[in-house]
Amino acid sequence: MMDSLFPPENFSLLALIVAFPLLGAFVNGVWGQQLGKRAVRFMALTAVGLSFVASVITFLALAKLVEHDKGEHVKLAWTAWEWMHTTGGHGNTEIPIQLKLSVDALSGVMMLVITGVGFLIHLYATSYMEDDPAFWKFFAYLNLFVFAMLVLVLADNLPVLFIGWEGVGLCSYLLIGFWYQELPNAAAGKKAFIANRIGDFGLICGMFLLVHYTGALDWTGIANGSGSLVSTVDLQRVHVWPIGGGEFRDIGFLPLHLLQPHAGNITISAATAIALMLFLGCTGKSAQIPLYVWLPDAMAGPTPVSALIHAATMVTAGVYLVCRLSFVFVLSPFTMTVIAITGAATALLAATIALVQNDIKKVLAYSTVSQLGFMFIGVGVGAFTAGFFHVFTHAFFKACLFLGAGSVIHAMHARIHDGVQSQDVRNMGGLRKYMPLTYWTFFASTLAIAGCPFTSGFFSKDEILYRAFVDHTVNPFRIAAYSDGGHWAAPNWVAPAVFIVGLLAAVMTAFYMFRVMFLTFHGDFRGWTIGRASMISHSEVSGHGHGEHHEDLTKPGHAPHESPWQMTVPLIVLGTCAIFAGFLNAPIIKIGGKPWEPMGKWLDPVFEDAVKAVGFRQPGEWAASMEWPLAACGISAFVIGTGVAYWMYIAQAGRPAKSLAEAMPGLHKLLMDKWRIDELYEVTVLAMVDALADTFAVFDQSVVDGLLPRLSSLIVVGLGTVLRVFQNGVVHVYAAFMVVGLAATGWFFVAPHADATVTVSDNGDYVVQASPGMGYSYQWDTNGDGTPDEKTFGNTQQVKVHLDPGKSQTVRLEVQNAFGLHGAKEIPITRPSAPLEVGQL
Amino acid sequence: MPVEYYVTLSGILFAIGGVGFLVRRNVLVALMSIEVMLNAVNIALVAFNRSRPANLNGQMFTFFLIAAEAAEVAVGLAIVLSLFRIKRTVRSDEADLLKN
Repeated sequence: MMDSLFPPENFSLLALIVAFPLLGAFVNGVWGQQLGKRAVRFMALTAVGLSFVASVITFLALAKLVEHDKGEHVKLAWTAWEWMHTTGGHGNTEIPIQLKLSVDALSGVMMLVITGVGFLIHLYATSYMEDDPAFWKFFAYLNLFVFAMLVLVLADNLPVLFIGWEGVGLCSYLLIGFWYQELPNAAAGKKAFIANRIGDFGLICGMFLLVHYTGALDWTGIANGSGSLVSTVDLQRVHVWPIGGGEFRDIGFLPLHLLQPHAGNITISAATAIALMLFLGCTGKSAQIPLYVWLPDAMAGPTPVSALIHAATMVTAGVYLVCRLSFVFVLSPFTMTVIAITGAATALLAATIALVQNDIKKVLAYSTVSQLGFMFIGVGVGAFTAGFFHVFTHAFFKACLFLGAGSVIHAMHARIHDGVQSQDVRNMGGLRKYMPLTYWTFFASTLAIAGCPFTSGFFSKDEILYRAFVDHTVNPFRIAAYSDGGHWAAPNWVAPAVFIVGLLAAVMTAFYMFRVMFLTFHGDFRGWTIGRASMISHSEVSGHGHGEHHEDLTKPGHAPHESPWQMTVPLIVLGTCAIFAGFLNAPIIKIGGKPWEPMGKWLDPVFEDAVKAVGFRQPGEWAASMEWPLAACGISAFVIGTGVAYWMYIAQAGRPAKSLAEAMPGLHKLLMDKWRIDELYEVTVLAMVDALADTFAVFDQSVVDGLLPRLSSLIVVGLGTVLRVFQNGVVHVYAAFMVVGLAATGWFFVAPHADATVTVSDNGDYVVQASPGMGYSYQWDTNGDGTPDEKTFGNTQQVKVHLDPGKSQTVRLEVQNAFGLHGAKEIPITRPSAPLEVGQL
Repeated sequence: MPVEYYVTLSGILFAIGGVGFLVRRNVLVALMSIEVMLNAVNIALVAFNRSRPANLNGQMFTFFLIAAEAAEVAVGLAIVLSLFRIKRTVRSDEADLLKN
């Protein structure tokens, strides 16, 4: 029945999956305020819930199809309509761009994660946002986000993906600045939006290049055309210097030839250019160096938003895109290396910052950046399955961590009534007693993210580190035919360096996560001493709509309490997944001598093309023999990180941390200030943009607003003064003008006009065609000797002339009209001696 | 009678109308001059139409023109009347309110 209702080529259920959240967003956005909270909640949850059900059905149908055609890269697709078309490719052919959705193994998993985790977070938010006056708006945005994210992963081509890509960017902006009455929140939203725009610039450039070089934008088309991306023909490569090709020549006294490289133009393969551009897009969306700065600030949004958008789904879009176009990325080993190194650097940088932060959400934000770095290490070394599996497990444990943090903040807020103070781990402690469910789920997720053996994070992260050490993007199989040295291979130090940096980041991850957990849940509650009277001014400007704000603020609040079931149920589900989801892909466990990796098998067809370009760095059994030693490194990273955290914050009750900070005040301050990257951007990029803007402002005020209007008004006034003379109000003068005009027109008709056009063919035969006119008759002098061909005027409208190369001749045409008036014209014709070019005359 | 006679008559009438419109300052006379010019056109139209008896476009056009003339006179006279009410004159060179 499924097959007849939803054939694979016209799988309309996909439309429903994306339509439900859109409908929810529409209804809640337009009528939410009138509907009231219960209806809004019902609408939002049903929309995402139904979408999840439809996703599950789709996934089952896909699984059945996969079972049927084993090993094939199967797809369910649904085409809405042809959106637009463009031209491109080598033949400059027409490329239809369809509004098409499709789901395969990769997007199927993403779709389940988005709707599944999305539903849990929606459920959580119904309680977390209970008292917010803009409840309806929040859920409208949240539903819209789910819609956009689904469009992003279900898109069958880049333009449709771009709709989703921009859509999630927009929702992210709206939700980060959800409490926009407070300036920092609004600023954080803008920062995220702008940082993402820089990335989008890269994505758009990548799209243009893909159209130009492969002649396609849909996944299948790009795959088919990707062979031409690694061409070594000069014309089909991207010229980096001089930009766009060409040559520097001197202009006047300017010695521009010095800029010309000696050994010919510097070119890169189209694959490298495209992959780098796409990766720029990924660094924006997935918060990698250099565009990661927006993500920590994005914590200004409500906590469910942080969990859904800035941890579980949207930020993984970049990793998804690399996985989706893996067959393009592997064509450029250089870009792959850049991705791996960027990932490793980001993982380490973010982890160092997370070591010392005191805001619980900030720590989680930096850990997200760090984990995204791990994902990029994975896809950058060609371990696409491992990288994507980390996306999958990260969605569970990071969503759980954020929701747990939200639960803690919720409880703290009820006591402290201050947005900043209630997120500060220094005010927490001992919460295990008050909120056991939150504690245990948070603990489970912390184990997972720290890489405790046999939790999900262990399997995904260790697989990434293992592959980072042993893998190598070899010369892509497609350019094996070219052996002119035009390809590039990563130096040998890269793989061990990436591994070591990743391991270091893993140690830090274990440390800072357990640090946060110990500070939050262990020891004694430190929040009793936080006064409340001083917070009155804060709570008045606070956008949090908690009704309790208006109670008597002079008394201390309640003790922290466990959150309601709407918040704990998602925590329990996500915590369980965080522990056990790793067994979906645990190649380190061997069952019957074969690695246990159902997820890997499931994704194999997707990465089939790409993994052909990836091999082990050393042949033979070396890679297999490294598996356990490297896993031991990963386990020891967990043990060291956790042990140090335990010693510092439990055994010694935080004293070593204090003395360490006092011993190295400079470093501590630098880490607290997040390496002052924001400040660096401020004095470099922002200052440059500001200076540019100031220049433009001066230009705008002086030229656009000053000179141009004055000049144009002067012209208008001058012309008006002259023309006013003619408008003397006397009807007869106007009539006289009309008569003059009439006479001129009449004369034009009466006087004959001789004119002719010359058409040419290749062999020197010219046809001279006289322009027609009323009552005209013609007389030709073809050879131009002064005597006409015929004595009288006739009806011959065209004559033919043959010329030898290099000769010229003048044809004379005379016309006579009905009044007997004559007009003449001489038409010179020259045939060039050089080989004739089309359009020469 | 050859068509040239009609055309000549039409041309003479048109010239009389044109000159009359240009030189006379009385608005009523100017209107009459316009009528003369239009009728000159009518004469030319029906005269040419005689040389193509199968095709009645010329005569059709003449009827259209006569109808248009009637409308034009109605509007023109109304304007003249208003002008006379405001200025107590029908001389066109004194009706120069839209000057400059």
